[in-house]
Amino acid sequence: MDYDLGTDAAELRTRLRDLISTHIPEGFLGACTDDPKDLATTESFCKMLASDGLLALAWPKEHGGGGGSVWQQTVLREEMWAHHEPRGAQYMGINWVGPALMRYGTAAQKDRHLSAIAAGEVIWCQGFSEPEAGTDLASLRTRAVRSGDGWQITGQKVWTSYAQMASWCVLAACTDPDAPKPKRLSLFLVPMDRAGITVRPIRSMLGPHHLNEVFLDGVEVSPYEVLGEVGDGWRVMREALAFERVGIARYARCESLLHRMQTELGDDWNTLPESIRTRWVRALIDLRIARLLAYRAVSLQDDPTAGGAASAARIATTTCDQQVAELLFDVLGPSALDSGMSAPLHGAIEDHWRYAQAATVASGTIEVQRMLVARETLGDH
Amino acid sequence: MKTALPEDIAEFAAVAGKRLARFGGVQAALRAETEDQLRHDARTALSDLGAFELDVRGSTEDLLAAAVLCQAVGATALPYPLVDELLAIDGARLALVNPATPRIDHGDLAGDWIATDLDGARYQVRPSTRTAAKLGPFLVPATLSQADGTVSAADVDLHLTLGSWRIVGAVQQALEITRQHVVARMQFGKPLAEFQAVRFTIADASVAARGLYELAKYTISRMESSPAQVRSADALVLRLKATDTARQVFRAAHQLLGALGFCDESDVSVLDRHTQPLVRLPVSTEALAIRLLPDVRSDALETLFSEPVAAEPV
Repeated sequence: MDYDLGTDAAELRTRLRDLISTHIPEGFLGACTDDPKDLATTESFCKMLASDGLLALAWPKEHGGGGGSVWQQTVLREEMWAHHEPRGAQYMGINWVGPALMRYGTAAQKDRHLSAIAAGEVIWCQGFSEPEAGTDLASLRTRAVRSGDGWQITGQKVWTSYAQMASWCVLAACTDPDAPKPKRLSLFLVPMDRAGITVRPIRSMLGPHHLNEVFLDGVEVSPYEVLGEVGDGWRVMREALAFERVGIARYARCESLLHRMQTELGDDWNTLPESIRTRWVRALIDLRIARLLAYRAVSLQDDPTAGGAASAARIATTTCDQQVAELLFDVLGPSALDSGMSAPLHGAIEDHWRYAQAATVASGTIEVQRMLVARETLGDH
Repeated sequence: MKTALPEDIAEFAAVAGKRLARFGGVQAALRAETEDQLRHDARTALSDLGAFELDVRGSTEDLLAAAVLCQAVGATALPYPLVDELLAIDGARLALVNPATPRIDHGDLAGDWIATDLDGARYQVRPSTRTAAKLGPFLVPATLSQADGTVSAADVDLHLTLGSWRIVGAVQQALEITRQHVVARMQFGKPLAEFQAVRFTIADASVAARGLYELAKYTISRMESSPAQVRSADALVLRLKATDTARQVFRAAHQLLGALGFCDESDVSVLDRHTQPLVRLPVSTEALAIRLLPDVRSDALETLFSEPVAAEPV
């Protein structure tokens, strides 16, 4: 056994930390804030990463990627999330839209989209969830009806992150309501400025841009904009989402916040109540385990039967997110509620607590992850 | 990075599991409560596996083999103080004790004993007799001398770590017994495994057990290469998590097995009772957490953002 990430991964970590400390301003909390400068920061940072081959590090070089090892990709995930995801909304395009295009896209679709994603020039959103279908994606109601050679799409999407800023959407719609559930859906690559698309932001505790409604009113799409086969959307969606089944490296931000808070407290750390300090110890232990479960899932990522390992890693890391959020709020007391540059850690803890509420909901709820672990352990019942 | 056990170690683990199953598994541990000969037979089984030729202090491969052997011992609650004997000093088994209330599992077995506490203070030991306790039936209260020297921190760390591997085995076995039960046991016309509350309990226990196993592999893999402070923190971290996980998984097992889980005809009852000394001794999880407080400040409890801890001069 060997838990060394390797020299290339260690060097990448150092390089990324240098880039972040040089180019990301103090107090940066991601692209989704009320300050438009933050979005601009992510756009310029992405282009810089892209020019160094780091934005699409995991992609093959032929598609504009960096051809990085899985452990370099792991380090990239950790460092980006630890530092409030300075890639902004790009990770969706990079992490699964691009890989799905590589596997299922036509030559024309690859030509049109892959180099733009790898260059950090385009933001994608994901039009899956609907008011009547969140976790149960096979029950989507948005309809795509034949119209000439192509399709006309009508319906509503909800909780669509980045819809306001995105220029493209992977849109799931029902193309055959009479087919068996796995054969009802198709995926479409649709520009967000097409006639019939209306985006309405949803105010939420997560901040702007995170959640939106997308209304589709007779949106025309051509047959060349179908991703994969018609009626095969459910399979493509499941396989595409498996590209990022290890999920966000939430443990890395938690470890970073605890480290920064400890540095901020200095010797005052020793005067915290013992009950808080022992919770701190337990949080660090649970974070180490979440990290090791993620590494295990990464090492098994080519094994199609090892989905339970990824779900276990997700359960561990998402629950750590909330555990650390509560711990740090208890450390801060009333000032935990403050936000902005004058707040503790420039508002990073307040931001983390708000965002952590979504950790066990976003990208597959913790209940779904438990079902997957149980299915692996107990079989189908 | 390689997160799987080396092939030869995995094969040894399989052989060890078979040999200890042939010895009689968990039910042999139950019989050993009243049939002393079985504890001697347990040593024979370990000897057949080459346990007492393992150099856990000097060989990385032997240490790994010892870890998976401890795991197999934990899964069957083998009635023998393997860790204490693997770490024997000058022929005397080394017990890890709490000097405030010194108790030694299997301390009544013939042979010499010495003891250490978590700080590495060494004691001469005078064991008394077993108390027929339900929890820890082989526990023996002992009288300690004044501290008369030290045991190396490395030995204390090995004791904590190998003991934790025993807990790993017990946890995995308890989960497996529970899995088999909920799949087979019918209630309201269907297997327990069809109830979502049961499935979620199993899922949570499974995630806890997987996490502990990953932590155990990680800890043992870097024992020889880490600076001493980091190694000691790692050992405390593993023991703390092992005991926490044991409590969670055994609780889930008892709940899902219902009344059967309290009966000695169920392996869960025996496993739980016999594993309690490892879970409770030498100190509580809270005490372990308090011991780790300085390691947070010194970065010996490593994270992704720790400053490297300098190796101590030899």
